[in-house]
Amino acid sequence: MVKKVQALVIGAGPAGLCGAIAIAESGVDVLVVDEGIKPGGQLPKQTHKFFGHEGFFASTRGFEIGEILYQKAIDLGVKFQMKTTVSGIYEDGIVVYERDNEKAYDINADFLLIATGASERFISFKKNFLPGVYGAGAVQTLMNQYRVLPGQDFLIVGAGNIGLIVAYQLLQAGANVKAIVEASDKVGGYLVHANKVKRMGVPILLKHTIVEAIGEEKVRGAVISEVDERFKPIKGTEKELVVDTICLAVGLQPSVELAAQAGAKIEYIPELGGYVPFRDENMKTSVDNVYIAGDLASIEEASTAMIEGYIAGYNIAQKITGKDLSEKINKMKKELEEFRKGPFSTKVRNGLKKFGVNFPEGGFRTEKQENTGPTGKLRVKIECPQNIPCNPCETSCPTGAISVGGNINGIPHVDYEKCIGCGVCVMKCPGLAIFLIQEQEKYSIIGIPYEFELPEINEKVLLQNKNGEIVGEGEVEKVVRNNRGKTHIVFLKIPKGLENEVRHFSKISLEDEEIVCRCEEVTRSKIEEAIDNGFTDFEELRRYLRISMGPCGGRVCRLQTLSIISMKTGIPISELEPGRFRPPTIPIPFKAIIKGDEENEI
Amino acid sequence: MKYKVCIIGGGVIGTAIAYFLGKMGETSVAIFEKRYLSSGATGRCGGGIRQQWSTEANVKLAMRSVEFFKKFKEEVGMDIEYKQGGYLLLSYSEEEAEQFEKNVKMQREQGLEVEILSPKMVKERYPYINTDGVVLATFCPTDGHANPHKTTFGYAKAAESKGINIYTHTEVNGIDIENGKIKGIQTSRGYFECDVLVNAAGAWSKEIGKMAGIDFPTESYRHQIFVTEPLKYFFPFMAISFSGNFYIRQALHGQFIMGQGDKDEKPGINENVTFKFEKEMAKKMVKIFPFLNNLRILRHWSGEYNMSPDAQPILGKSSEIENFYYAIGFSGHGFMLAPAVGEAIAEMIVFGKTLHSDISYLDKERFKKGIIQEKNVV
Repeated sequence: MVKKVQALVIGAGPAGLCGAIAIAESGVDVLVVDEGIKPGGQLPKQTHKFFGHEGFFASTRGFEIGEILYQKAIDLGVKFQMKTTVSGIYEDGIVVYERDNEKAYDINADFLLIATGASERFISFKKNFLPGVYGAGAVQTLMNQYRVLPGQDFLIVGAGNIGLIVAYQLLQAGANVKAIVEASDKVGGYLVHANKVKRMGVPILLKHTIVEAIGEEKVRGAVISEVDERFKPIKGTEKELVVDTICLAVGLQPSVELAAQAGAKIEYIPELGGYVPFRDENMKTSVDNVYIAGDLASIEEASTAMIEGYIAGYNIAQKITGKDLSEKINKMKKELEEFRKGPFSTKVRNGLKKFGVNFPEGGFRTEKQENTGPTGKLRVKIECPQNIPCNPCETSCPTGAISVGGNINGIPHVDYEKCIGCGVCVMKCPGLAIFLIQEQEKYSIIGIPYEFELPEINEKVLLQNKNGEIVGEGEVEKVVRNNRGKTHIVFLKIPKGLENEVRHFSKISLEDEEIVCRCEEVTRSKIEEAIDNGFTDFEELRRYLRISMGPCGGRVCRLQTLSIISMKTGIPISELEPGRFRPPTIPIPFKAIIKGDEENEI
Repeated sequence: MKYKVCIIGGGVIGTAIAYFLGKMGETSVAIFEKRYLSSGATGRCGGGIRQQWSTEANVKLAMRSVEFFKKFKEEVGMDIEYKQGGYLLLSYSEEEAEQFEKNVKMQREQGLEVEILSPKMVKERYPYINTDGVVLATFCPTDGHANPHKTTFGYAKAAESKGINIYTHTEVNGIDIENGKIKGIQTSRGYFECDVLVNAAGAWSKEIGKMAGIDFPTESYRHQIFVTEPLKYFFPFMAISFSGNFYIRQALHGQFIMGQGDKDEKPGINENVTFKFEKEMAKKMVKIFPFLNNLRILRHWSGEYNMSPDAQPILGKSSEIENFYYAIGFSGHGFMLAPAVGEAIAEMIVFGKTLHSDISYLDKERFKKGIIQEKNVV
């Protein structure tokens, strides 16, 4: 006998899960089929915190969102059939294939919600068949779901949100990201995502692409080159990178196959991601009982996928039950409207216009905050310069000090009279774009959101700026652990004047801990002791301890020494004298000078 | 703010005077240094400590200083890498060789142990020196060298521990004189009253004199110096030649420090360096010390010799302004004389006269009587 359900949801990602929840809320029986092992679609492999607002799980990590939604659906009686692929939608039924049981059979459903998401795009380059070339999704699956790191040294192609997020996750997993290449002239993803990897020293090479994978049996390197305005590689600009893995994150395309088989009209709308099913404002396709939601409808992100799922689900439930759910539907439509008012939704708005579905834009604050608050007070500094749909900073602030202004797409501003420096927003911000700052007498304090292995208190660390360059040395003052959200705050003592520079830090290896000046083997404790004894000038320390008197002439230790002086004395590095830069810059043999002189005389 | 004694200059002379004042119980003392301690000639010098001088008075002063250097670590409390490895004076002219023999006679009368060496003896003793052209050499085993920075820091720290204040990065801009007496000084950190003012400003001694309306006959000349990468320590003495125009020593860390004079230098403060110096030195030094050929030059800098008309220091108390003391014009050998001079100036301030060394012959007024040149200067 043919199995029959009132509503069948294909795909257990955020759109499908929310759709199933919405349908089940009205007591309708729902079956969700998904080919994955775990429900959640892409969510189980997302270890980062999501953007948006907290009503749709902003600041919650992707895999947790999947678990929450799944639990909610189960509680409502939704049935799940995992590891089950819909192998086709036929005139006479929907064929599902249970992979574990090796069983294919058909199901009938009164209503269908297709939420099959998207698949990754690939680009072609020489030798892209070599083992070691992966799509970003595969890298995430291996790394975050199966805990297997597919390589150690990565090149990432594409600086959209996925490429940036994968880069950050790879760093968290202990891999090296040699570079992110991006063919266009700007970072496509959120700048806050880009900043997270830049401050860890990952270069983002704009107007660059990959032209060749190097290796015989597997990837051993990659050739990248600059591209012209038409994205053509420019000859002569090739560079080789030593990598063992190439991760492609060049975009997504909607997985329209099943929708097309269901009879839904498919159109090519580049703004929505390529071929997409036509749908109306209620997410209904050209077929009356077939709805869609999520990336299949338009390539966007999880928040809008969830809302679309609700809209589709409530509409299906309304039709099945005959109950008026317009209040719930309109509430969700309003949410969607808010999300899509910003510049990152321009493409989607323009694409949907072609379907006669209109979304308004604007109504949010665009100006950045100039005021950085009263010097000396422990306070936040928000570095979120783009109009992205996200507001947990505002909603989490216990004193109401932060407002994103207008709608969720506004740029957050801080009321410094209200800010108490509690750090809740620092832990919440999905972009890790909020820092705590306080100028003190001898040094300054910076609180950095941190999701790596935590340092020890009083540990000396190397300070990195927004581009990951080392700008000095600091010390861990305290670590505020966030056991729930897992974004901890590391408070560092840093040299004065570097409050707007330092955005990351790296641990000093044990060898460094011992020695600051490698040429003359001067240890940090010797330097600190000397400063305590009143040697507070770089030149005095040089003369007393022989710092920078070796062959490197101070290239290695000068800045580190100046940081130590600054931290101890409270004088900003910019106000310290850096000491003399004496020639020769590299050691020159006597015989070289003699030879040069003799040959000049001839 | 008021101090009994204000000292201008945070080099080895200023800090030595402060140290001895403290030792004699005078702790109302402040040093004013416009840059950092040892930033002037002290921190740029070769660090040699020599007693082989051509005038009796200089020999005495130098011998007194060596007594202090020997007990520096115990008394002042800092290891200054002092090494009595001797000074080998190489003469390349008959005339100078004759003068050396006279000098040695005088030096021995002062109780100084000095050897006279023929070129052959030099070759035997130091096979790594090319003795071509050497006429005669003298060697004093109790001469030596030390680290000038640490010597200054040692004096400074010991002075501070007695309550003496040191103001670095503090420039003296004016001297306040009333009825022929100094009342105080104007500095970048404000006005300081004083009973006694000491000019120990080295290369800037003339400028400080002008602020008090006194013309000190000193001029500053650049001298360049460089240091090599280190070799295993094997060269314990300072080799120096006035006629050959060089000096060279190996520091305890192993690096060779060397320099020469340049007669073409114009007076004035100049802390830059020239490649000409490296070329001249490379050619000359590799010829005499062939082992240098493969060695590399690491760092090259310069400092000022504060020259007096007779190449001897100018020490004493002003005849024009009664509470103005000076210890200037060291002409390139202030570091080695600092202990005896520091003691002598401190004694003059505290007791009204020197108790151990006669420095009256180095008074500024001597130039009225004519000039007797000290010849043993590079």
